Order: sequence, then structure tokens, then C-alpha cells
Amino acid sequence: MNQTHDPAALSGLLAGLEAAINRALALAPAASRELGDLGNVVLAIECTAPEVTVFIRVAPQGTLQLMGYCEDKATTRVRGTLEDFIALAMSDDPAATLINSELEIVGNTAPLVAIQQIVTRMDVDWEAPLVEKLGDVAGHQLAEAMRATFAWGSNAVTSLRRQLSEYILEEGRLSPPKAELEHFFEQVQAVGHRVDRLQSRIERLKRRLDKAGV
Amino acid sequence: MTDQDKDTPTGDDTTDFGFSRVKRDQKVNMVRGVFDSVAARYDLMNDLMSAGIHRLWKRFTIELSAVRPGQVVVDIAGGTGDIAERFSRIVGPDGQVVLADINAAMLGVGRDRLIDRGALGNIDLVQCDAQALPFPDNSVDCITIAFGLRNVTDKDAALRSMERVLKPGGRLLVLEFSKPTNPLLEQAYDTYSFRILPFMGRVVANDADSYRYLAESIRKHPDQDTLLGMMEDAGFVDCQYHNMTGGIVAVHRGIKA
Ligand SMILES: C[S@@+](CC[C@H](N)C(=O)[O-])C[C@H]1O[C@@H](n2cnc3c(N)ncnc32)[C@H](O)[C@@H]1O
Repeated sequence: MNQTHDPAALSGLLAGLEAAINRALALAPAASRELGDLGNVVLAIECTAPEVTVFIRVAPQGTLQLMGYCEDKATTRVRGTLEDFIALAMSDDPAATLINSELEIVGNTAPLVAIQQIVTRMDVDWEAPLVEKLGDVAGHQLAEAMRATFAWGSNAVTSLRRQLSEYILEEGRLSPPKAELEHFFEQVQAVGHRVDRLQSRIERLKRRLDKAGV
Repeated sequence: MTDQDKDTPTGDDTTDFGFSRVKRDQKVNMVRGVFDSVAARYDLMNDLMSAGIHRLWKRFTIELSAVRPGQVVVDIAGGTGDIAERFSRIVGPDGQVVLADINAAMLGVGRDRLIDRGALGNIDLVQCDAQALPFPDNSVDCITIAFGLRNVTDKDAALRSMERVLKPGGRLLVLEFSKPTNPLLEQAYDTYSFRILPFMGRVVANDADSYRYLAESIRKHPDQDTLLGMMEDAGFVDCQYHNMTGGIVAVHRGIKA
């Protein structure tokens, strides 16, 4: 099939980001109410490089749902590169950023701007939920790159972009470089041998216990 | 180890149980036995088996279902009900979810878990065989079967039965272990399935045979394109699949014409 990214990897990333945002929203009832008041909103974020589309839906109870696949009609579609989207996410004046950036927009920009403002106003802990969903290594690295980007701005964008691309693209993760794959393979084999040895030890012990009549 | 069974001549009355051939009517009982013995530890094992990644596979499967509030959804071989619970929230009070499984012990664990989470309002539990679903024709908007089809003796009959109960335009989603796209990954995965997993089965669930059976039944399952063809043969249209995690699992989707 013609796919560039692994849906499960993208799902993990989105599950982590979604949990992070919704946890922050649970602690900020006013922000959550504001979101709920936006009504039925579906944003389609079409990233061209890396090529992946993400959907953001506002749930009536004032939470956000992040999806890799969605058939609802989008209220707003935005198309651009990851750098453009990161700039938009970090902007103090998203409306101005939208006008000045290369992002292509179809539909109503008001809900997009409103969601950006609600989320950036909150204090979101990205790391814990990302680590929960993606595991220690990937989760921590992504959270680190996000933190750096938000702290230092565009200098760190390249790193975040690389991390994200590596994470979601099949190229980077699922056809990993041969050396890496072989290493993984060796580790699995090594565990396999240890399991076998442990297994025979258990059996020896069991025989000894049986013989001893325990 | 994967080819030992391919060449065995198949009498009409035998079928595969993992890699050992058993009489067809025995298989249902044996499958039931396997799941009876692992039901209570199943969620824990499931998490260990795939380090929680099965939640991500299921999350994407649910997105692909595009289920909306008010719809009727059946999760076949639904086991302990994690997918049913998520659908229950999506279809809401006007919709209905059926958690169907052949195994009473699994359904029992499912019921307890759903009660714990206060999610039973719009969920019915039905003990039934995927090969002969006890629902009226054209009555269901969406059917999911996650890690269940490989346990079914007559998969073609099961697919036809699902096609029958779906409404025209309704969808079937099959989430199942499949064929890894990378040969090295496949080898590592074999080691994991046949040596490490049964060992963990022994230590955690005290039941290595059940988990060895699980590993073997994964290998007996049709690969991506074979399953796609089986769905088309059962009458589904617009069939497609998405590989996940290097093809270790795939989710197939078909629409009832
Ligand atoms: C590996 S579990 C999957 C459970 C759940 N769907 C999940 O993804 O965690 C397989 C389930 O299939 C059920 N099963 C096996 N054969 C079946 C059949 N012929 N009809 C219905 N369910 C069946 C078993 O009882 C078991 O609960």
C-alpha cells in the first residue's frame, strides 16, 4: 500500500499530545469551557513535509481529539510544512502569523486561532503523557525537542522536525538502518537464549524437587 | 518451524490448532479452553505481549471505522471489552454496542471491567460464534474483530456471516497479526513469539501452552493480500489494508455493497 508513515506510530504521537492537552484542560475549566463553546469544529492539518495529515476535533465537553484519520468534513483545512505549523503553534499573534506565513488555508480561520490561543495559554506538561504512550526513549526525546523549540524558537525547529519525521516515517522507524535492525535482532536472539537457559534451569530444579519429594 | 504444517494433507474433517491438526469440531472447544485459561490474566498479558502498542493499533482501527453517534456496532471476539468500551462512548446513548465472544469467561471479565468503568449503559454482551452471528440481516453499521479472526475455524463462513448482518454501506474492520514486511523483523518476531512469549506466558499467566498456541495461530493466519482476497470473496467491496508496526499487524477494511 502506498503509505509514507506508520499509522500506529502516528497514533502513539497523537495519543500522547492529546492526553497532554486534555490533562491541562482538566485543570483549566475556563479554557475548557471556551473550547466547548466553539461548537462542532474539525481542523485538518495537512503537513507536506513530512507528508502527514492530522485532524483536530473539538469535543462538546471541551476537550480535544487528535486523529490520524477522520471522515468528518473539516471546518478548516491548513496546508504547509512542519516549520510553518511550528511557527504558528508558537506565535504570540497567530492571526498575523497565518497571514504572513506560507500556509494555505481553506475555510474559517477563527476556530484555528482560538484553539491555538487556548492551548498556548495553558501550562502543558508534554513529557509524561508522551513517555506513557511512546515509551521512555522516543517519548523523552520528542518532549525534549518540543521543549527546546518552545524555549529557543527557530534554532531548535530543525531538531524537532528531524525527531518527528524519524518517529512517524516508515523510512526512519520501520525500515531502520540495517545495523540498527541487526542489533535489535541480536538482542532478541540473546533474550531468546537466556529464556531457553532459564527454562532448562527451572526444569532441572523441578526434577530435583520432585526427586526430593517436596 | 513455520512450514511444517503447509505440506500436511488436509482431510475435510481436520483443521489447524496452532501447528497441531485437530478435528474440526474439537477446535472450537480447544480454542475455548485456551481462552478460558488465560481470560483472567488476559489484559495484563496483552500489555506485556505488545508493550501497550496494541492500544495504538486499536486506536487507529477505531478511527478507520468512522463510527458516529447513534450507530450500531458489534465487536466480535471482543474479549475483555476494551474496544466495545471505546465505541460505547462514540455511539452515545442513542447508539448501541454489542460485545460478542464465544467464550463466557472472557465475557465475564469484560462485564466486570465495563461495570467498573461505568460503561455498560449501551453495551450488550452476547455469547456467540463468529461463524454464525445471531443478528438479523442488514442490521449493523460497523463490525470490528480484533485479534479474533485467526482463532475462527472457518474464516470464510465468518466473513460471510459478518457481511450478512451489516447494513449496505456498513463496514468491517479486521485487526490481525500479519506478515512483517521486513525479513529480519520477521525472524526477530518469530523468536519473540515462539520462545520469549511462551516463557512469559509461563511466568505471568502460568500457562505457556496457551501462549504457544497464540504464537502459532498468528503464523497460521493469512497474510495481507490473502485476507484481502477472502474479504472480496465474501462480498465486501472497496477492500483495503494498512500495515502497522512493520506489518506485524494489519488492519483490513471492507464495505458491504
Ligand atoms: C486474542 S483474543 C482478542 C480479544 C480482543 N478483541 C482484543 O483485541 O484484545 C481472541 C478472542 O476471540 C474469541 N474467539 C475465538 N474463537 C471465536 C469464535 N469462533 N467466535 C467468536 N469469538 C471467538 C476468544 O474467546 C477470545 O476472546
